[in-house]
Amino acid sequence: MTDTSIKKQELIWTPFLMLLSREVRRFIKVLAQTIFIPTINSFIYLLIFGVSIGKNIKVLEGISYLEFLIPGLVMMGCMNNGFQNSSSSLLGMKFGREIVDIKAVPLTVQQIIWAMSLGGLCRGLVVGTVVFLSGELFYYFYENTWLVPVHPFYFVLFCIIGGLAFTKLGIIVAFLAKTFDHVSAIGGFIILPLIYLGGVFFSLENLSPFWVNFSYANPLLYFINGVRYGVLGVSDVPVGVALWVSLLGLLLFHLLAVWALKKGSYQPW
Amino acid sequence: MAVLKIENLIKDYGSLRAVNKVSFEVQSGEVFGLLGPNGAGKTSIISTITTLEKPTEGKITINNLDVTQHERATKAVTGVVPQELVTHGYFNVEEILTFQSGYYGLRNNKEKIHSLMQQLELWSHRHKKIRHLSGGMKRRLMIAKALMHSPQLLLLDEPTAGVDVELRYSIWEQVRNLKKAGVAILFTTHYLEEAEKLCDRVAIIHEGKIQKQGGTKELVQKLTSRHLTVTLKNKVDYTHPALINQQDNTLEFRVPYSTKIGQFLSELNFQNDNILDMKIREGTLEEAFKYVLNRGEM
Repeated sequence: MTDTSIKKQELIWTPFLMLLSREVRRFIKVLAQTIFIPTINSFIYLLIFGVSIGKNIKVLEGISYLEFLIPGLVMMGCMNNGFQNSSSSLLGMKFGREIVDIKAVPLTVQQIIWAMSLGGLCRGLVVGTVVFLSGELFYYFYENTWLVPVHPFYFVLFCIIGGLAFTKLGIIVAFLAKTFDHVSAIGGFIILPLIYLGGVFFSLENLSPFWVNFSYANPLLYFINGVRYGVLGVSDVPVGVALWVSLLGLLLFHLLAVWALKKGSYQPW
Repeated sequence: MAVLKIENLIKDYGSLRAVNKVSFEVQSGEVFGLLGPNGAGKTSIISTITTLEKPTEGKITINNLDVTQHERATKAVTGVVPQELVTHGYFNVEEILTFQSGYYGLRNNKEKIHSLMQQLELWSHRHKKIRHLSGGMKRRLMIAKALMHSPQLLLLDEPTAGVDVELRYSIWEQVRNLKKAGVAILFTTHYLEEAEKLCDRVAIIHEGKIQKQGGTKELVQKLTSRHLTVTLKNKVDYTHPALINQQDNTLEFRVPYSTKIGQFLSELNFQNDNILDMKIREGTLEEAFKYVLNRGEM
């Protein structure tokens, strides 16, 4: 009776691509929430911090505050939206009982994690790109020239690593959460402060030695400075160190996501 | 051939033993009914088959493959209609069925998707989001999802709960067709009349344990009796160990399945010209169920 055309090979790629397609289509269906609002937020950051207040802020030598801010905001867009996408998608599945379907079909833990991560990364990269283009417009308006990334490879690479790491973090949080409050509490009390204290708005040069040491313990510093290196060619952390720490962070989040899916609850709310 | 085999399954939730050493098999082309009151452990059994829950002890195999060790292979041949309705906030009926098909590795499966939508009367609703569907339509969609990959084993967890009569008959028809096609079906229901009509074999589960299992007819015959009602022209004072009720001229007897009706009637020794009417009512699964749950008291 079973369709004999279902071969093992087809159970690897097709289910994975289908879940990935579901994740991408989901955020496209609610563009206002998933793309426009984060873009407007970043636009406001650029306007208030980058242009209005930024004139009086000194950061790295020879770099305007607007230049400094743009890569940080791009990375913040990638990470924040990656996290939001995977966590809200999973929470929606738990709330609508769709999570039971995901467990009942022949999708493996790795397929679920990678499909949801890449779906979230797509959203993160779309927001990151829109933020970068907005930043370019601001930069052109005030500096009369375009901001050209010095190391485009590193720029894209760190956006991908950071975005992926945060989509996996979203999966971990959503899987282990017992209520919506848990997710918003972790987002508000842990992730957002880490993003803000990770050097989006300031350079380590502006901090006292205590806070410099404190910041080095924040893994987000390395993601953000990696992107900044890609755009400006300078950063607070050597790019090699930033790359290794970011990759380790990504691996750690991936392993934790695997653990969360194996140990966490598929029970709907 | 046993498609599903459950051996000594135990499922604990903390200190609560929800499933206690349950064993049964479901053969290809068979409808097996799992009957029990709320909280008996039916859904826990289905959850462990689908690996939503891990068994505390015991073994579950589908086509001789352990479900905990061969998740992908066993899920690829299993369809599930869960008890609770699933809502997908963002997608319409056709999109959901396309995803479901893809999850089973079936690409370009439009023909099957369209055929299932037509078969289950979802065609005119194919562009509607789930939240705009009625409860019955949602149930049809869940059945379509479960059938998308033509499973060998179908788990139906109270599929007719809260549906109208028309849909209930339609689900029965589907179940019969799938049985004919060789699908092994595990069916849980609160409606015992439905189980009696559809199930080849049943297990009555109570407090996590299977109390009785066997062929539906055999179980009814073993645990219940026929009821013989005789209406006489003239009232007689009559005593007989099988007499359970007497109202005026109407006498009701409980006749065990082991006793032939003709033989029983001759034992009663009524004069033929005094018998006005006679009715035989067969025992029901509901009576067998009550008998088991009340531990033998009818």
